[in-house]
Amino acid sequence: MRVTRLDWGYRFLLCEPRHFGVLYEINPWMHGSVEVDLDAAHDQWEGLRDALRAAGAQVEAIDQPEHVPDLVFTANAGLVDAARRRFVPSHFRHPERVPETQVFAGWFADRGWDVVRLPAEVVHEGAGDALPFGGVLVSGYRPRSDAAAAPLLTELLGAPVRTVELVDDRLYHLDLTFCPLDDRRAMCAPLGWDAAGRRMIEELVPEPLWLEDDEALAFCANSVVVGDVVHMPACPPRVGRQLEAWGFHVVVCPVDEFLKAGGGCRCLTFALDVTFAG
Amino acid sequence: MGPMASETIEVHGHIVDSLILARVLDAILEAGADYELVDVAIGKTNTDTSRASIVVRADDQALLDALIDDLQVHGANRVAQTEAVLVDADQDGVLPAGFHSTTNLDTEVLLDGRWHRVQNPEMDCGLVVDDAGGTIRVRTVPMHRIRRGDRVVVGHDGVRVHPPTRRTAAGGFEFMASEVSSEKPKGLLIRHVADRMRAARDEGGRILLVAGPAAIHTGAGPDLARLVREGWIDCLFTGNGFATHDIESNVLGTSLGIGVADGAPVEGGHANHVRVINEVRRHGSIAAAVEAGWLTGGVMHACVEADVPFVLAGSVRDDGPLPDTVTDVAAAADAMREHVPDVRVALMLATTLHAIATGNILPAAVETFCVDINQAVATKLADRGSHQAVGIVTDVGVFVRAVVGELCG
Repeated sequence: MRVTRLDWGYRFLLCEPRHFGVLYEINPWMHGSVEVDLDAAHDQWEGLRDALRAAGAQVEAIDQPEHVPDLVFTANAGLVDAARRRFVPSHFRHPERVPETQVFAGWFADRGWDVVRLPAEVVHEGAGDALPFGGVLVSGYRPRSDAAAAPLLTELLGAPVRTVELVDDRLYHLDLTFCPLDDRRAMCAPLGWDAAGRRMIEELVPEPLWLEDDEALAFCANSVVVGDVVHMPACPPRVGRQLEAWGFHVVVCPVDEFLKAGGGCRCLTFALDVTFAG
Repeated sequence: MGPMASETIEVHGHIVDSLILARVLDAILEAGADYELVDVAIGKTNTDTSRASIVVRADDQALLDALIDDLQVHGANRVAQTEAVLVDADQDGVLPAGFHSTTNLDTEVLLDGRWHRVQNPEMDCGLVVDDAGGTIRVRTVPMHRIRRGDRVVVGHDGVRVHPPTRRTAAGGFEFMASEVSSEKPKGLLIRHVADRMRAARDEGGRILLVAGPAAIHTGAGPDLARLVREGWIDCLFTGNGFATHDIESNVLGTSLGIGVADGAPVEGGHANHVRVINEVRRHGSIAAAVEAGWLTGGVMHACVEADVPFVLAGSVRDDGPLPDTVTDVAAAADAMREHVPDVRVALMLATTLHAIATGNILPAAVETFCVDINQAVATKLADRGSHQAVGIVTDVGVFVRAVVGELCG
């Protein structure tokens, strides 16, 4: 069977962690008592950025204003249709992150993107909860995004949207449970999905790499794929062997300081080259 | 009997590929509810979305509301509802044209995006909306009490009605499941009535007695008086005849001139009821006759002594009438309405006129038992909209004695 590498994942938006910190608790990984080592966080972020560049990706950066500590998790910026240069900014579930919408919308508008908003009452946390695979956008719902966003995203992005219910609090975004690797394969963490969601993914993904629960909770699925390089926050041997058997190179990028806020490699990146044309 | 509450929801998107439609339908069945797919449009191309309208039915509104809240998580939404339309009444005693004519069922009205429960369900009335003090209140108002400027709901938009929940007695015996019948075993029915009266009293609800003169003729008077004395009756609706015969039997020992104890005609007895009415008129009221020591027993006496309110609604064929009888029928119905709040159980004994009059003003949620030797009475009550009424075809004297046996030991 011929396998084609992903046609996206070569251009990312990142946010340098100038004002990062665990200032509130909106997921089970966040604890206000935990201190973030800002210097270490900065080093880890630079490590990830350099690894992405080394793998052949372009990296753009957005400045972090003081009042938005989680802006570093650019995966939650929104969703793009690169072919039309259209950007749909996220609407956040938690009031703590609501101010990020304006910051991201402004960045895209300044660069000539067509910024289109979801209705105010509809919540969707962008690429953190929606990843393209097999010609459709797979979108997680319940903890952070509304299922009702799905038909609206189809309208705005021209993408068929298949929704999956996220049922484990610890895996609160789709990108903690699902990582497209190429046109046939994806890392899949069934721990995070309800029965209907598992069935849907089984039908959608011809060759899933099923993650064990501990592998899922090590954020294996929160990885960034650039061609045949997989950037992972951690790589258990079993997962690494399977990826290598499929011809991928694994680069482990430690992002421990960001894991304190519940985010891994994928959360720190936002692919700007996703498109659904054709 | 089918499920009792229903609402239409809509799911939209790639609901077939995502298995969302299947997920929603499964969730409905898992919750013990049922559905009907009324409209399904499946998208043709990859980017076409599909859309399904689903009528969801559940046994009660609370279950349905909880289920629909849960389904909203999966993207299913209530089909958008239109708000109620209000028109000001422009004349006292007249509803605006096209007014929403009520049922006796629990009803809600959609105003400012919220459903507001109608305070006092009553059939054949208008719905009047007050928002004094910023709180919206919706109540039923009979047309003769409409005042110019009242804001009245017109049409059907923004009004929803909840059919009554099916009541299941302990042991799974579905009390409402069968028609009125003279063939039913009475012991079980009577025990059920007694249970409901006990439950109503325990829960702070009131028990309403509606009785016709035949209740006295059949000898039920002393037992009814005992129920009143022992606190089982909170309110009495009846007419001039019942009160007259009750007083006649206690003062003169006859009911319409026939000896209550021996059934023998008493000489000159045919005029006894008129003489009794005349004497009560001389006292000024039934209460005054009790106070004067002239009336010393019976149901009316027990009501006065126990402070149980009664309404004597007059009719055109009344003798006298007694001074307590309200001869303006609209005023009588209004007087009865005053006593309807908190009534949980209504016992209607041997009366067509008062049973139907009371049925007209009772919410359907009131458990209503209609006892008559004639099956047609219960049927007639149901035909006139009091579908909640359970008919018990038996002699009222026998019925009341058995209820006293259950309740008063």
